[in-house]
This record gives sequence, structure tokens and C-alpha cells, in this order.
Amino acid sequence: MAREYDHLFKLLIIGDSGVGKSSLLVRFADNTFSGSYITTIGVDFKIRTVEVDGERVKLQIWDTAGQERFRTITSTYYRGTHGVIVVYDVTSGDSFANVKRWLHEIEHNCEVVNRVLVGNKNDAPNRKVVLTEDAQRFASQSGIQLFETSAKDNVNVEEMFTAITRQVLRTKKEHKERQAIQTSETVNLRKGTKQHRKRFC
Amino acid sequence: MSSPEQLAIIQSKFTAGETVVIAIEASLMQGCMRAARLLALVNKGSTHALVILLTSRTPPQVFSDLTIERVLPIDHDFKCDLDTDGKQQDSLDVYLNVSSRKLRLVFEMRPGVTTSSLVSEIFRAIEVFQKNNSPPTEYLWIQKLTGSTRNLDSATDDIQDVADPLVELESPDLVVPRRNIATGKTPVAARESVVRYQMACKEEDYTYTEVFRMFIGTWNVNGQPPNGITLEQWLSSDQIPPDLYAIGFQELDLSKEAFLFNDTLREEEWRQVVTKFLHPKGTYYQVAIVRLVGMMLIIFAQEVHKPFIKAVSVHTVGTGIMGKMGNKGGVAVSCTIHNTSVCFVNAHLAAHCEEYERRNQDYADICARLSFSSYVPPKGFKDHDQIYWLGDLNYRITEMESSVAKHHITNGNYGPVIALDQLVQQRRLGKVFQGFQEAEINFKPTYKYDPGTDNWDSSEKGRAPAWCDRVLWKGEAILPIDYRSHPELKISDHKPVSAIFDSQIRVIDITKYRKIHEEVMKKLDKLENEFLPQVMVDTTEVIFDTIHFMEPSTKELIIANTGQVPVQFEFIKKLDDTSYCKEWLHIEPYMGFIKPGEKCDIQLEIFVDKKSACKQNSGEDKLYDILVLHLEGGKDIFITVLASAYERSCFGSSMEALVHIRVPIREIPAGRIMELENNKNPTQEPYPVPKEVWQLVDRLYRHGIKTAGLFQTPGLHSEIIAIRDWLDIGSQDAMPGGVHSVAEALLLLLESTAEPLVPYNLHNVCLSAATNYLQCKQIVMQLPEIRRTVFLYICSFLQELLNHTEENGLDAKTLATLFGSIFLRDPPRSRDDRQYRSRSIQATFDRKKAAFVYHFLVNDQSDFILGR
Repeated sequence: MAREYDHLFKLLIIGDSGVGKSSLLVRFADNTFSGSYITTIGVDFKIRTVEVDGERVKLQIWDTAGQERFRTITSTYYRGTHGVIVVYDVTSGDSFANVKRWLHEIEHNCEVVNRVLVGNKNDAPNRKVVLTEDAQRFASQSGIQLFETSAKDNVNVEEMFTAITRQVLRTKKEHKERQAIQTSETVNLRKGTKQHRKRFC
Repeated sequence: MSSPEQLAIIQSKFTAGETVVIAIEASLMQGCMRAARLLALVNKGSTHALVILLTSRTPPQVFSDLTIERVLPIDHDFKCDLDTDGKQQDSLDVYLNVSSRKLRLVFEMRPGVTTSSLVSEIFRAIEVFQKNNSPPTEYLWIQKLTGSTRNLDSATDDIQDVADPLVELESPDLVVPRRNIATGKTPVAARESVVRYQMACKEEDYTYTEVFRMFIGTWNVNGQPPNGITLEQWLSSDQIPPDLYAIGFQELDLSKEAFLFNDTLREEEWRQVVTKFLHPKGTYYQVAIVRLVGMMLIIFAQEVHKPFIKAVSVHTVGTGIMGKMGNKGGVAVSCTIHNTSVCFVNAHLAAHCEEYERRNQDYADICARLSFSSYVPPKGFKDHDQIYWLGDLNYRITEMESSVAKHHITNGNYGPVIALDQLVQQRRLGKVFQGFQEAEINFKPTYKYDPGTDNWDSSEKGRAPAWCDRVLWKGEAILPIDYRSHPELKISDHKPVSAIFDSQIRVIDITKYRKIHEEVMKKLDKLENEFLPQVMVDTTEVIFDTIHFMEPSTKELIIANTGQVPVQFEFIKKLDDTSYCKEWLHIEPYMGFIKPGEKCDIQLEIFVDKKSACKQNSGEDKLYDILVLHLEGGKDIFITVLASAYERSCFGSSMEALVHIRVPIREIPAGRIMELENNKNPTQEPYPVPKEVWQLVDRLYRHGIKTAGLFQTPGLHSEIIAIRDWLDIGSQDAMPGGVHSVAEALLLLLESTAEPLVPYNLHNVCLSAATNYLQCKQIVMQLPEIRRTVFLYICSFLQELLNHTEENGLDAKTLATLFGSIFLRDPPRSRDDRQYRSRSIQATFDRKKAAFVYHFLVNDQSDFILGR
């Protein structure tokens, strides 16, 4: 049998406090959900091994504290991250309004990174305030894939994690190909100069 | 590890005659955990055993540090192979898989000379066993080591000894902290081997069997070319076309060239003939061909099976002249058909009637030396699910007169003859082909005939008939269908033999495989997550009441290990901080180790002292800190520490601010103090010196001028606190506390400022000028007005003290040294440097500071003061 996994990726979940970051992680890693709210004071991670497009990927998923006062500290955990999951709460307009800030946070702390936008708590239509169209428009403008999920009802969670994993995989492949091309170009041109390469943050 | 001293310590664990050949440190992989062990290869007589030892110290110092954990006899049940995980970046470790009876162990070892010598010694020991085939009685010495026979007795299943990685995983009796696999830094081999093991256990759930018809043929062609020969009778006489052919030849070419250069045209000639006469109902492709001198093995399979026959690998072993040459020996092909590994061996063993032991030896050598390199690690002969062994094995019949044998054979009465067949005899004695089976022989001996006839050898030698050419098999689910010879083929002195089998091949159901694999992975993920360090803290916000200057305050934080593994915790630095907490906070202990189910009490102490007070007054810092409690290999928890307030005090305030405060400091808002500290909105009429300085000096002047040991005898903490409050609140009562406490409070007031009385920018100038009174005077002239006034004010007071040396016993040098260190406090950076600064250099600095102040204690300052 082949190796246990082909890739090891670090994913990071960010977003305002109380949008359901930890619930998404627990749903994905343990397939459970707890209605009681325990705010995350710190950073925690869980692992899960998935198969995406025939490749075995081990995901190490970091869940961060969303509270404002921890923002400077949590930004240090962006290092080495392959993909970021930005979460808002579809029943909270503020949390959606803050998405811009979180995206800015990513830009500030990472060079190149894969992102998905996640509207969680999409399970109570009467309380939904962030309309799918608005979120979709914003996501398209920012060039990010949007998922509306419910950690509670287990809707779209698996799909969302698979999508970000696939993105990271694709980026890694493209990066490798680019490197291969650059290497061959360098050889062909007999240039010793190092090409500037974009890399994961 | 193999240093002579250490080897000697290990050797002392054994008695005379038991020799420790080699010993090495290794990590025993237990599920996801690794535990340190020593591996020693021990020899007694012709037997070896692998001994696994526990050591209480690494490296062991004395004999009693060691405990023998297990002893694995190196016998027929012992298996060992290597696994290198070179693909993974940070892991260059070597994995040694050892199995004995039902026990399977994996050791992680550092690659290197010692490791490879251990491995080669083990392999040598295995070879020794195969050569001697020592009976179990020779392993009795092992019992003494373990005090039981459990390792020897494979019949009695000692359940507890069965190392089932899953069982161990699910009942984690953990001795060793689990290293973090999740970060990807730890080799995943442990987990990987668990996955492999689990998948092997569940093989039946995701595979089904398909029957393959196998044709195994062997023929010693006695060097004859295949000119115009037909092979139908041998290769395609049945109705059903075989799925797979394994056809072996011996003595393909008896020429010197073939022997010396291993080169012959016969290979291609015979290959073509064989290809031509494969079963017409099947479409075949050649899977592999391998030849050593006259031994050739060729494998064909039906085209439809092509995608499922993988990992094809060939190997040859010569056991002929000098034990190496290819006139005798074996050639073999290994492959995987679907999920079943299959090995075909075509052997030509030693000739001559009496040489049966030599033939046994050839067999053992072939077994030991066969190795298929397309596998990583290389696969041995035994590591196959199914083995088919064919060839001219050359076993004869010596215990029956040739004429008697021929008589029986002619009558079709093979039984009495076969009973005396050397191979049958040797197998019965367990000397050769252990575990192999052979179908019932219902055909005439295939040797020796006059070529071109069915007549027994009529030459001078008149060789007795023998069943030289045989087919044996090993493995489960192989059903023998037919076993026969083909006397119609007469060109050789041997007749060809064929055996037909219906063999069950395990086929993977890919959908089921995926599903089961995913289940296994999920289970392991779950375990891995559960095995991450977990703690609970009783609070993530430690809130202190109002903090006062110089009054320590303590709170407790309880960390409870609620997980399944021991936890190593540490408060770590965040961002660019130089320490894991602010200077006014003290954490005890700041790192530690907690066993599952246990707790650790952490003391958090806030103490604002002379160093940290000024920043609190100026608002540069607050009593607020976020601590990062890090669990090694796990999460981080943020602990917020804060005080509801810091009580403002004249201590820690600058002279510049204090002169603008005419009322007790607590009567003005904190914001105003911050303003003044930052030189905003000063009052119109500042005091010449801060009132607190005046109050303290005045108190000393009135009550302490004649006190012996003033400034040298320490004050009382409680009195200093009382004085602090008296100054800060402003009281109509007399100042509390004894003079020594007042003196210390004065020093403290001067020391708590952000900057010493002589500003840092003049620090070095002062030190250079220290010996020159005039220059020192010049510098003091340049001091900012308030500083200069305070400086001269205190110096004048000290001069006054020196007027009473007889009573107070003070001298100018002592006071100069004390006040020098306060007026010329080292700048912050050099304070850090201090530990690097040698003591003598520091003493020189301190002397210069004293010298500077000394001038102002012994010279009359009246002109200076008046002259300004």
C-alpha cells in the first residue's frame, strides 16, 4: 500500500467571534455538533485525512479566537497556512461587514493563499439577514468561492472543506509546474539569476 | 551504542556462553507512540535471539538499569525486514519490522553504520538458522532469560503477547508522551503501519477471490535443441486454457560458452517453441523470462490479466561450483496478481544419488538468497502468498535395488518406490521444503531414459529410475488438479512434467476498498484528535483588584489535564515580545508537565516595583497582558491578566511632574498625571523641588541626622507602604515610620523615576569627567533646572549629615557610592549588558559614579548655589 497521505496542508479558520468557526471544525473532524456555545480563547487544531481527486490529503485545521482583542496575536498563526476559511454568520450583518477586514488581515499576513468565504448558520431562513445574492456578489468581486453552510444541520460543510483542499492542491501543482518551467528556462538561457517565485505564506 | 563499555553492561545481563553480538538503541513503535528500547542480538552456540531491553537510563550505566522485556528466538518463525521512509522530507529514519510467532514489532532506528551492522547481523543469524535448522531444544536457554516459555511455544497462544496495534491504540496505556504527528514533523510510519495492518486484517472485506488456472511445467532438456519439436502434448493437452503458464527448463545448454558467459541462443529458440504451443484457446503475453546458464523460467499469462499482474521482478541464485556458479541453483519470478503475491522458482539442485544433503542445502541457499528488488524493501522468497517450486530437484531412490524398483514401476505399483524417494524422506524429516505440498505422483519416474525412447538408461552407469522432476507449492487456496509426466517427448533423458492448479487469487473490490480505507482513516483521525493534548483552565481572565506600588498581589490559575496524554505546557512569547509576560508579572511555574487527570496550580503575581512604576504613571503601559499558554503538540490558550486599576503614586513619577502637583497626588485625576508626565499643561508656579522629596528630607533632617547607619540600615516594608500612602494621600498626622524607612523611601522615590536625576544622555560625560571637580560642576550647571535643584538640595542635605559623622558614623565615600549609583543609574541597555560586563569593569564604573558625587559632598557648594 502506498503512503498514508500524499500531502499535508494547514488550513486556518477565521472570522468574527460567534460565527461558528469551531462548530464547522468539529462537524468536519468529528462529525458532531454541540448547541452550547463555548467561545474559543486561543487557537486549537484538529486533523482529518481526506481523499480529493485521488490524492490523500492530511488536513491540519486551525481554529482561531475571533475576538477583537486577540486579533494581533492570532495573526501570528497565519504563517505556513495553505488555505484560509473566512467565516461569517448569515444571521449577522456585522459579521459579514467584517469579512473585508478579515480578508485584509490575510493579505497583510500572507503572500499567496487560497481562500473560501463561508456563510455559516444557514439553517434558519427567517433569521437570515445576509442575502445569498449580496454575499455572492461580494465573493465574485473578491474572486473567492462562496459556501453557505450549516454546521448544525451538516449542510455543505464537507463540500466546503473539499473545495478549499482542491484549491490548495491545484495551487501546489501549478506552483510545481511553474517551478519546473522556470528551472528549464534557467537551464536553457544559462542564467544564474534566481527567478522571483510566489510562494505560500 | 556499541561502545565497548556499554556492550559490556549489556553483556553482564547474560551468562557465560551467551554473547551479545551487537546492541543498539531503537524506538519501539506502539501505535502512534514511540518508546525507547535497546535491541541486542545474543548468540549461544549455533542459535541466536533478538533481545529487547528496557533501560531506566540512556545510556545504561549499570547492569541493574536494564530489564529484559522480550526475547525473540531467531528460528523458522522469525522474520525481519527493513523499511526506509526516505520519501518524507524530515524523516530519514529506518524502520525495522520484526515478527516472531504472532508478535509483530516495528522499531525506528537512526540510519547509520550501527543500524546496518545490526541488520546484517540479524540476517546472518537467520542464515545460520537456515543452515543448521537448530531444533527447539537448542533454544531452551531463552526460557531462563524470560522466565517463561511463551516465546518458544507457538502452539499455546499467549493472547496478551499478541501485539495488535489496534488494541494498543484503543487502550492507550501510555508511558511515553506522544510526539506530534499532526504537525507532520513526526514520521508517519507508525500510523502508516497501523493502516497497513488494519487493511490487511480487513482484506476479506474488500476482496473476493477469482480462480486462476495455473500450468506449472518443468523439463530437463539435457542440452538438446528444440529442432522441429512439438510441445502440444505437454503445454496444451487440456480442454481449459490456463490463465497462467510457468515453464521451467534445466540443462537448456550444456556448452562451455553457456556456462562461462551465460550466453546462449537456446533461450530464444525454446522461447519461440513454447510460445507457439501455448493453449490455442488463450491469448497470451509473456510476463517474464529469466535464465541462469541452463536454468530458464518463462511466465505467460492471458492478455486479459495483463492490467492486474504487477510488480514483476526476477532473481537468480547460483549454488553450483564454489556455491556461486549457475550450473546449479534457481531462477525465480515474483509478481502480484491482483492482491495476491506469487513466486515461481525453477531450480536445478545438486546431482548424484548420495548428495541429498547437498540438495537440501541448495534449497536452503536459494530460499535465503532470493530477493526481489522491485519491492521496497526487497521482498524475500517467503513473503509471498503463493509459491510454486518446480525443477529438476534431483532427489533419487537409493534404498531399493534398481531392478526391484523397475519391477514395481512396470506394474504401476509406485507406492513402495515413492516411499523411498529421497525428497519424500527428507521432507518427512523436516529437512527441506517445509510448508510445501506436493500432489500425489501417479506417473513413472521421469529419469533416466535413453534419449529418443521410453527405455530406461541402458548406458554403462545404468542409472536407477528417479522422480527428479517435481512441482511443489506453498500457500493457501491452491487446489491441485493434475500432476503428470509427458513421456511422448523423448529428446531428453528426462521426461517433462506438468502440474495444473486452480488457485484462488484475491481481487480487490475498489469501491469496498475505498470505503474500508476511509473508515480506517477516520478511526485513526479520531484517535489522533483524541490523543492531542487537552487541558482545561479554570479561567481565561485573571482579574486583580487595584494594584499598589511595591505591594505584590497573587492569583492562582489551575491547569487541569483533561486529555488522554501527558501534557507539556509552557507560556510562550507572542509576536516580537522579549518575554512571555510583562515585567510586572511573574508566573510560577511558567512551564511544566501534567499527567492525564492531574492538575497544576500556577501562581500569577503582579508586582509593580521601582522599574515598572514609571510606565504605569505615564500611561506608557497598563496592567493588562495576554499570555499564550502553549501545549506542546497541541493548542494554545490565551489567558488575559489584568488589574482593575493601578493606584497612582508619587513613586514612579518624574521630578518634573511632581513639582507641578501642589496637592497630594491621589487628589488629582490619573489623566492629569499623564499630562504632566508628558509635559503637557504645566502649572505656572512649580515647586523648586517636589514636595515629597522635601517632606522626606525634612523628616530625616529633623529626626535622623544623628542616627547611626542612616541609609545603610534597611527600612521596614510595612512602614514604607505607610509612608507611601502618607505622601500620596496627604495627611495632617506626622509622617509614619522610623527614619530608616524614611531614608529608604527617599531612595526609592529617586530610583522609581523613568530617568535618573542625571539624564541618560549625560551619563557617559559624567563618568569621563568624574575625577575633575570643575568639569563635574560644569555638567551639573547644564542639568535641567529641576534636576539641578534636586541634585544640589540632596547633596546639601548629605553635607549636613556629614557634619554629624561622629554620631551617625557616615562618611563621604559611602554616601557618594550610594547616591552615585542612584543619581547616575545605568541606562537600560547597559543594564542588560551588565551581565556581560565583567565585575572589575562594573566596579570601575561604580567608582566613577561615586567620584562624581563625592565632589559635591566634600566641597563647599554655597558659591555654586548662590552663584546661579
